[in-house]
Amino acid sequence: MELTDIIFYIFALVTIGSAMIVVFSRNLVYSAFSLMFTFLGVAGLYVLLLADFLAVTQLMIYVGGILVLMIFGVMLTHRVVNVEISSGAMRVIPATIVVGVFLGTLLLVLTRTKWMVMEGSPDVIGTTSMIGTALVTDYLLPFEVSGVVLLVAIVAAAFMARKR
Amino acid sequence: MNTVLSDLSATAPITATVIVALLLVVVHSFTREFKTGLYWMTLGGIFIGIYLGVVTFHHTGYAFNNMLMIGGFASLMDIFFLSAAAFTILLSRPYLERTGGHYGEYYPMILFATIGMMTLATATDLIMTFIGLEVMSVTLYVLAGWTRKVKESNEAALKYFLLGAFATGFLLYGIALIYGASGTTNLVGISENMEALKGNLIFIAGCGLLLIGLAFKVAAVPFHLWVPDVYDGSPTSVSAFMSTGAKGAAFAALALIFSVKFEFTNSQVNTVIALLAVISMVLGNVVAIAQTSIKRMLAYSSIAHAGYMLIGMVAGTEIGVSAILFYIVAYMLTNLGAFGVVSIFEKENRKNLDIEDYAGLARRRPVLAALMAVFMFSLAGIPPLAGFFGKYYLFLAAVESGYTWLAIVGVAASLVSVYYYLRVVVLMYFHDQSSEEPVLLPASGMVSLGLSAAGIFLFGILPSLLINTFRGLF
Repeated sequence: MELTDIIFYIFALVTIGSAMIVVFSRNLVYSAFSLMFTFLGVAGLYVLLLADFLAVTQLMIYVGGILVLMIFGVMLTHRVVNVEISSGAMRVIPATIVVGVFLGTLLLVLTRTKWMVMEGSPDVIGTTSMIGTALVTDYLLPFEVSGVVLLVAIVAAAFMARKR
Repeated sequence: MNTVLSDLSATAPITATVIVALLLVVVHSFTREFKTGLYWMTLGGIFIGIYLGVVTFHHTGYAFNNMLMIGGFASLMDIFFLSAAAFTILLSRPYLERTGGHYGEYYPMILFATIGMMTLATATDLIMTFIGLEVMSVTLYVLAGWTRKVKESNEAALKYFLLGAFATGFLLYGIALIYGASGTTNLVGISENMEALKGNLIFIAGCGLLLIGLAFKVAAVPFHLWVPDVYDGSPTSVSAFMSTGAKGAAFAALALIFSVKFEFTNSQVNTVIALLAVISMVLGNVVAIAQTSIKRMLAYSSIAHAGYMLIGMVAGTEIGVSAILFYIVAYMLTNLGAFGVVSIFEKENRKNLDIEDYAGLARRRPVLAALMAVFMFSLAGIPPLAGFFGKYYLFLAAVESGYTWLAIVGVAASLVSVYYYLRVVVLMYFHDQSSEEPVLLPASGMVSLGLSAAGIFLFGILPSLLINTFRGLF
C-alpha cells in the first residue's frame, strides 16, 4: 500500500464517519458541526484526484458559506420557537425499503459499469489556470448564462424582501 | 474573437432578448415610476427578437462550441417563446393593475424566463440544458409569488420552489451519470457513439433521472403534485405563461434530447414513457371533472395534455417529434387564451374563479364568452381548430409506429375531457347569469385573446403551414 492509498482511506473514513454522525446525531448543532468534517474529507479527496481548484472551492463555498449559514440558522431559530431542536426517526420501514432499493441500484451500477479510466496519472500541476482558460473559450456560453441566473436571483431576492 | 461575434449574431434572438432584459433592469433602477415605458420597451424588445428569429431561420448549425442549435428549429422555438411572452405581457398589465402586483421588475422577469426557455429548448449540451432550465425555473418561482400579499400566491411560490429544487437534483444527477458513461455532456458527441452506449446500464440510469427531472417540468403524472396548487395560487397571467412557455420548452428539450439526439429505439424506455403518458392522460382528465375552480380544472387539463404530448415521445420518429412541436404551438395559443379569459374575468381578492361564476357570461359579454368557447373547443380537440390537428398528428404518429393501443387510450381520454370543457360552454350560454357585476374588457388583453383565437383558426384550417416546416427540420 502506497502513502497516497493510506491518505485516501483516512479521508474516506473521515468523510463517511462524520456523515454518519450527521445522520444519527439527535442534536442538530452536533450534526451541523460534523457536516464540516464531511466537507473537509471530500475536499481532501478532491486534492488526491489532483482537483485543487475544486478542493478550494469546496472549502470556500461549503465550509465558509453554507455551513456557517446553517449553524447560524440553527442557533437563531431555536430561541425564537423555543423548542428542543432534535431530529428523530420516523417512518422507519418505508424509508428502509426505499434506501435499500436505491443502495442496491447504486451498487449494481457501480460494479457493472465499464468506467472510463485513464492510464496512469495525468501530468497536470494546478488546474486553476486551465479552468479559467476553458471558461472564457469553450465554456463561454454556460459561464455567461450563469451570470444571468445570478442576476435573476439577486433581482428576485431584492423584490421579495422589499417593503413596498 | 471573430468566432464569438459570429456566434453571438447566430444566436441573435437570445442575445437581443438578454440585452433588452438587462437594459430594463438598469432603466427600472434609475426611474421609479416608468412602468408604461418598461411595458413598451419589453414589447419592442420581443418584436426585435421575433424579427431576428425570422432572419436567422435559414442559417442552421451549432454555435458556441456545439452548445446551442441555431437557425431552423432554434429560430422557430425562439419565435414561439417570444410570442408567448408577448401574449403574456399584453394580458398581464391590466390584470396586475387590477389585482395589485404591477411592479416594474415584472417585465425583465418575463424576459429572463423567456431567455431560459429559449436556451433550454435549443441546448445541445446538457450543461446548457441545466442552466437554461435554472434561468427559467428561478424566474418562475418568483413570478408564482408575485402578488406578495395573497396567501395562496406565497404558498404556490414556496411549493414550486421546494419541489422544483428537488427535481433539479434528479436532473443534475442524471446528467452526471450520462457524463460518467459517455465522457462528454455534449449531445452531438453523445449521439456519435450512441451504439456503444445503448446497452450501458449507467447511461440508461442517467437517462431515467434526466427524464424524471424534465417530466417534473412538463407536469406529467406522477411528478404532477405541485401543478394544481401552483397554477391556482399564482397570478393568472403567470399561470398562463407557466403552463404554455415552460411546458413547451421542457417538451422541446425532451424531444430534442431523447428523440432527435439519442434516437431512442430502446423498447424499455419507450414502455416507461408510454406508461407515463397513459396515467397522465387518465388521471388528468378524470380528476379535472371533479374540479369546481376553473384554474384547478385547467391545471389538471394541463396534466392531461402533457400525457398527449408524451405519446409523440413514444412514437419518437420524425413524425412524432413534428407532432409534438405542432401540439406545443396549438396548446400554447389555446391555453394562453383560456387563462387569458380567466385573468380578464377574475376580480380582486380571488373572486370569480369558480366555474359556476361563468354562468350566463354569453349575455353579459358575448365576445369574451365566444372566445372562451373557441379555446374550450380547441382544448377538447374539436375540428376545425388547432387543438384537433394537434391531437390528430400525435395519434397518427402513435399508430404509424405501432402503438395503436396508446392512440386508442388517447382518444378515449380526450372523449372524457370533452365533458368538462363543454360544461364551461354550456354554463356560459344556457344558464342564467349569476351576478350583475360589470366585466371590464381591457384593450391589450382582448388583442392578445384575439390573436390567440386567430392563430387557432389559422393552424386549424391550414395545419400544413406548420407541420410541413417541422417535418423538414431534422
